Amino acid sequence: MSPTEIIPLLLVVLLLLAGSGAEPDTMEVVFEGNHTLGADTSTGEGISPTSSSGDDGALVVGGGTLTVPANATVSAPVFVVGGDLRIEGQVVDVRVLAGNVTVTDGATVADQLEVLGGQASVADGATIGSRSELVGELQGASPTRSPAGFLFQVGALALVAGLLARRNPTLLENVGDSVVNHAAVSGVVGAIAGLTLLVLFVYMAFTLLLLPLSVAGLVAEFGIVVYSYVVFGYLIGSRLPVERVDLASAAGAGLFVVALELLGRVPLLGILGQALLVAVGFGAVLVTYFGLREFEPAEIPG
Amino acid sequence: MRFLDHVRAGEWHTVVGYLLFVALMTAGYYYNVTFVQLGLIDLGTRLVGMSNTAVSAWMAALALSTFVVAVVAGVTMDRRGWSTDLRTKLRLLFGVLVVQFVLTAAAPHIRSVAAFGAWILVASVALGIGFPVSFSLAIDFVPVPDRGPVAAVITAATYFLANAVPIEWSIGAFSQLMVLAMAPGLVVLGVVAFELLSPVESIVDDLASQYRDFGTGRFCHDFPVKTRSLAFFAPVALMFGVFFVDSLGFLRIIETPALILTSWQSPQFSTRLAIAVVHVVGALMAGVLYVNFDRNGLFLWVFALFGFTYVLYTSDLRVGALFPALGRDAPSIVNPLFYALTVSFYTTLNFALWPDLSTAETIGTHSAIGVGMAGWLATFVSTAVALYLDHAAVGLLTHLNLVNALALLFFFALAVGLYLRRMLAVAREDERAPDGEADPGEGEVTG
Repeated sequence: MSPTEIIPLLLVVLLLLAGSGAEPDTMEVVFEGNHTLGADTSTGEGISPTSSSGDDGALVVGGGTLTVPANATVSAPVFVVGGDLRIEGQVVDVRVLAGNVTVTDGATVADQLEVLGGQASVADGATIGSRSELVGELQGASPTRSPAGFLFQVGALALVAGLLARRNPTLLENVGDSVVNHAAVSGVVGAIAGLTLLVLFVYMAFTLLLLPLSVAGLVAEFGIVVYSYVVFGYLIGSRLPVERVDLASAAGAGLFVVALELLGRVPLLGILGQALLVAVGFGAVLVTYFGLREFEPAEIPG
Repeated sequence: MRFLDHVRAGEWHTVVGYLLFVALMTAGYYYNVTFVQLGLIDLGTRLVGMSNTAVSAWMAALALSTFVVAVVAGVTMDRRGWSTDLRTKLRLLFGVLVVQFVLTAAAPHIRSVAAFGAWILVASVALGIGFPVSFSLAIDFVPVPDRGPVAAVITAATYFLANAVPIEWSIGAFSQLMVLAMAPGLVVLGVVAFELLSPVESIVDDLASQYRDFGTGRFCHDFPVKTRSLAFFAPVALMFGVFFVDSLGFLRIIETPALILTSWQSPQFSTRLAIAVVHVVGALMAGVLYVNFDRNGLFLWVFALFGFTYVLYTSDLRVGALFPALGRDAPSIVNPLFYALTVSFYTTLNFALWPDLSTAETIGTHSAIGVGMAGWLATFVSTAVALYLDHAAVGLLTHLNLVNALALLFFFALAVGLYLRRMLAVAREDERAPDGEADPGEGEVTG
């Protein structure tokens, strides 16, 4: 796994640690070789049990193989973002983002084994507090399986769209104008800015010092995407036979989310279509300064 | 695009002009980025047996000589009225192509320093005449509103060919390919330049008068940009910075097997194809941005992207240094993809900018100074510096860190410069306006 590929996963670990109140800079990372927890560290074959079994420091497996022997107990969270984790003893909390985890016969994961990516192999005689996998989670979160969640999403966006359309429709009008009349330039700006900022924030997070800024940036990017959804809702609403602009926008926003969800069901083209809409919306928000003024392309004489 | 209007109107001579310009510029640029930039280093170091430092000195000499010849050629074109004489330009270009054809065929047989030096001298004359002539064809062939998209097509085609078509980076391989490609091009250009067929004569007649409509560039309509003005030299300086940063970094990247063999010279076709496709996408994006934004905005994009790309490269190297296990894995494809995107951006800008900063009377001089200083001089000076740094055993991380710092410095300086310029303009407007009558809207900061 290359640095660029592993960095986002480490970022996720950092965010999870920061979110849980732990100190990210105390985590111990394993990148290569075969390690056994508690083995003599002077040989280079083992890692210290004190740092990984304390309350603060997390253990991250990024490559190689780490074995938790039968007589060892790890109370700190363990993250697997690459390589292999072999549990023969007792571990409290394991999250697998990539790589492999093997829980052998007689081993224990006291709290939870969470598999977001990669693979987990659990022997019949192993004890697991609770186990969850991403595929199951996603299916559970799908609108068809969880209509309440989807309805909440639709309702929240409709509410925001309605409020914004009532309070300052000019903002939405300006961004909407850019979406409709300057889709190409909006899409280009949105694609470059969105992608570049995303990678930038990921790299910022890896410095640890800029972690709060990185989180704020990612939240801001998400906010821009939501704002662009509201604008799409406004545009759809303006074509509905509803006189009140706030109601029309709210209805339009709801319809847009439903349409986007349905679009995502189309193999390949659906995802491309979704990405295109997000890029155009993102760019339109930026080139209009969040709708504060209309976008006017440069004039070319001739 | 005006191109579609011309097709719909059946103005086929104009359509032919578009195609001829794209073909000529694509071929010329492909020749420069492959044969001249990469082939000569291989020729000097491997076949002639010179040291890297000696080759760097010759490259710098080639740059300087090409630049001087170009300025002389460009100024002569404008003074003698050749800039507005299509037939003269086509015949000059044919002469240049003949010389380059001979030089290209002869290059792999050079084995002595003296022959290498003579080759460099003759090549610099051909290149120096060739690029102001070829850039000046924009005023005959491409309407002003279409210069951005046409520049994008040239960039996309050049880099797609350069990346997707597998070819060994050696003087022999480049020479064989170029000779094969140049031979039919020579025949076609000969037929057009000397009007050997009667339909061609009619088309050239029509094309020869188009400079009256297409001659005044986008940035010259209100006030023609003078050669000795900040409006001209500021873009020259910025473009010099762009080319310098690119070349200084890329020449080190191509000397690092771990970086180059997993990207531009990857044995896997899918990797090279991905880079080629990103080049195309980047060029088309730049074409869209060029027609929608002011040129300063585009320069900001380019420097920001360069700074960002080198942040990615240096971050990978730092992580690799901290965790050697990670450093042993194949470098990510993300970095060269961002690099390709950035290069396509500025190359598109370069093709459109100089004709748009010129009129029919200044196109020779402006394209010679613009492309000469910003392109040739910067590229080859940075080549010399890159080879020197390599010879001085400067590490990869330090080298790329230096390039990164330059890119970020240019980005910062440009952003501050634009802001200060706007601030001065606002201050002057406030001074002119009587007390209390200043327009509050005029304080708005724009790019």
